[in-house]
Amino acid sequence: MVGAGGGGRLPKSSKHYGLTALCPIKLGTAPGRNSSYEAVVRETLAGLDSHERSPMARVPNTYLARLYILKDVFYEGRSQQEHLKSQYLFFGSDFHGELEPYLRGMWENIEPEVRLIWQHCVAFGSSVNSAESFVDYIKKCQVSNTFLFNGSNDRPLAEQLKGLYLKQEFGDFVASHQGASDDELRSAFLSFAERVQVTKLDGPTWRPGAQTLESARTHS
Amino acid sequence: MTTFEIRSGVDLHDVQGNIIKGYGRYGFPVARYVTYRINAAVAGRTFIKLLVPMLTTSVPWSESGVVEEGTKQPPSTTNVALTYEGLRRLGVPERSLLSFPDEFVMGMRARASILGDVGASAPKNWDPVWQTEDGQQPVHLLVTINAESSDALAQRYEEVGLAARAANDVAGDSAGVQQLAGHRSAGGADAAFQDGAALRDEHGTPGPKEHFGYTDGISDPYYKDSGSRSSNVIGGGKRLRDSSPATDAGWAPLATGELLLGHTDEALEYPAAPVPSTLSKNGTYLVYRKLHQNVATFDRYAASEAAKLSMEENLFRAKLVGRWPNGAPLASFPTEAEANAFNAKLEQAKADRFDETATPTQRAAATERHLELKEQQSGFDYREDIAGESCPVGAHSRRANPRGSLEFGQDHAFSTPGALVNRRRIARRGLPYGDSSDRSVDNGDHGIIFMAIGASINRQFEFVQQQWMNFGNDFRLGNDQDALLASWPDEDIDPLRARMTFEVDPDGMEVPKICTGIPQFVETRGGDYFFVPSLTALSAIARGAVDPT
Ligand code: HEM
Repeated sequence: MVGAGGGGRLPKSSKHYGLTALCPIKLGTAPGRNSSYEAVVRETLAGLDSHERSPMARVPNTYLARLYILKDVFYEGRSQQEHLKSQYLFFGSDFHGELEPYLRGMWENIEPEVRLIWQHCVAFGSSVNSAESFVDYIKKCQVSNTFLFNGSNDRPLAEQLKGLYLKQEFGDFVASHQGASDDELRSAFLSFAERVQVTKLDGPTWRPGAQTLESARTHS
Repeated sequence: MTTFEIRSGVDLHDVQGNIIKGYGRYGFPVARYVTYRINAAVAGRTFIKLLVPMLTTSVPWSESGVVEEGTKQPPSTTNVALTYEGLRRLGVPERSLLSFPDEFVMGMRARASILGDVGASAPKNWDPVWQTEDGQQPVHLLVTINAESSDALAQRYEEVGLAARAANDVAGDSAGVQQLAGHRSAGGADAAFQDGAALRDEHGTPGPKEHFGYTDGISDPYYKDSGSRSSNVIGGGKRLRDSSPATDAGWAPLATGELLLGHTDEALEYPAAPVPSTLSKNGTYLVYRKLHQNVATFDRYAASEAAKLSMEENLFRAKLVGRWPNGAPLASFPTEAEANAFNAKLEQAKADRFDETATPTQRAAATERHLELKEQQSGFDYREDIAGESCPVGAHSRRANPRGSLEFGQDHAFSTPGALVNRRRIARRGLPYGDSSDRSVDNGDHGIIFMAIGASINRQFEFVQQQWMNFGNDFRLGNDQDALLASWPDEDIDPLRARMTFEVDPDGMEVPKICTGIPQFVETRGGDYFFVPSLTALSAIARGAVDPT
């Protein structure tokens, strides 16, 4: 069990960090709107792009991120009369590296989206105006969690994407050169290596956030 | 009270028979699946009330169970299942309805993208009976009948029809329960029911083949307290460490709660289940999927790709599935000669077992031999074949049940070798339908009525379909799909994406063979998610007495 504010990192040596933050949404009616703050946040989330066009795809080292509104807790199987005091914006992110640099990277790369998403959360508008204050804000909202997204190892995202890219391309290479003569194979492999640039992480690779092979391959 | 109830811990009288028994194995070669819409709750409830006494339970039949005191095997069996919309229309209270799992509430059509039901398999191409105008599930109640003969089938079908009519009379509404036609068949797209039937061999004897030519229905999960023969644990149970997969010491029964609600499961918990427990206990879920098989394309591809890869066609076919067409597992019988020799022994033992001219002693000995050989058909795993040189890692049956091989040879990677598998087992209870004797066309009426039973559709069937059939990551096979079931959106298939690798000894000099350009062999033609209530629950539903408070 990891203590509050500690995030999830199992085992200790791992570079895989699991962040969970619950940010209270203001109660009441949004000014100039006929709806609650919560409804406005919900609308904002619904309007965000996903997969390779998600703003989170531009945040370095994000393995998997989730944003949703937590309206009330309910327990499966047991009946327990416990309700949340407020409505929360749930922000969960599994990423490579340390919390603070990660959050700074988030502010640096998608500040306008961060402002848009969090603007109706309690104390956000009055306290967050820089990368450092965003880090502080999220750390205040952080809750302990023990569950990590399990679909990824703990390498930096760029390495993982390159690895997946190479695996797929090499598979294609092998499949399409079955039965080739040694000479054909040698020259085909040289041009293959030239094309995929094995050691170049920012070279040909997959796009962050892509959900299908087609979208992963159209690297911009 | 009979002995097996005391011994078994499950009241098998309360559990519908299709859950535990693969009827096909018990000499019921024909089946009929009848779909109903419920327009009036009273009629629906009365129908169920009239069906309950006709239902077949899981009580063992005297010939095949562990128990001395089974019931006599009937000439036909009858079972009933309900969709979410069916439960709602029968007046099951809101609070109970809300306690069903999401995937069941949504129904199979709404899960199309998860299941890979795209392109030719997309819901818009399903049989008319599964089409919906209002977005609601069209089918509310499913009656499944299995029978030893066409006559017995027709008779039971007639009796079920009479019950529906009687229910409508009681309700004073001639369409209170309405049989829904619209199943595609050889005669068109409007059959009043879906028929299924074991395929027959050249002598007209029904057998275990499916339309691609493989022996099917061999592997069957074995659950604690299911009342079936204890040696079925071999290959059917969960794999234990440090013991041979060929003996019963190598396996333990799966927890009952993997199959039935109201019993503890492999996590030592009661599976999440609808309230009240009288509604859920001893019930389970049924996935009904009509899967069309493109037999001409399959035959053509097998011949041409085997030639391209310089392989015997039979070996090629075996590599796709993980079993030779005659049923012998590749993992234990890597060459065709071994597989054929094994199968000849199996067939001989079976013939001797049922040879009426033999003495009782001879037949008893043959029975013993037959059962032992059947254990060999199931009692294997992939521990000696981690790389997949005998049975490819991506072979259909290895994907469907990796039998502990997800440790990838790293013993003790998990607390038990089955850690990633034991909660993903599914009991298959379907039968083929139609006739594929004309192998030159794809668009005849032939396929499988695939039925999967288990305590969680999402955790078991949907996971296997989405993660293990339509994706390869868990097997370190990247995006490769199962060759048999792969489905593709309408766009042209990238031939390199539609591929499967036949691995070789990683330390040897041989080169792996990769088949490419695999066309779509199987297309979904309809189906839905059903709840299979216990007899107690059905009676409560019929009385309008489900009380979740
Ligand atoms: C037309 C469609 C299908 C065909 C022709 C087919 C064919 C086969 C064959 C020939 C076997 C080996 C025989 C046996 O072990 O009983 C098999 C095994 C199996 N199949 Fe399929 N199958 C189909 C669809 C599916 C689907 C949709 C699933 C699940 C999502 C599935 C799950 C399994 C499982 C769990 C096994 C047993 C594996 C084991 O325990 O070793 N099959 N299938």
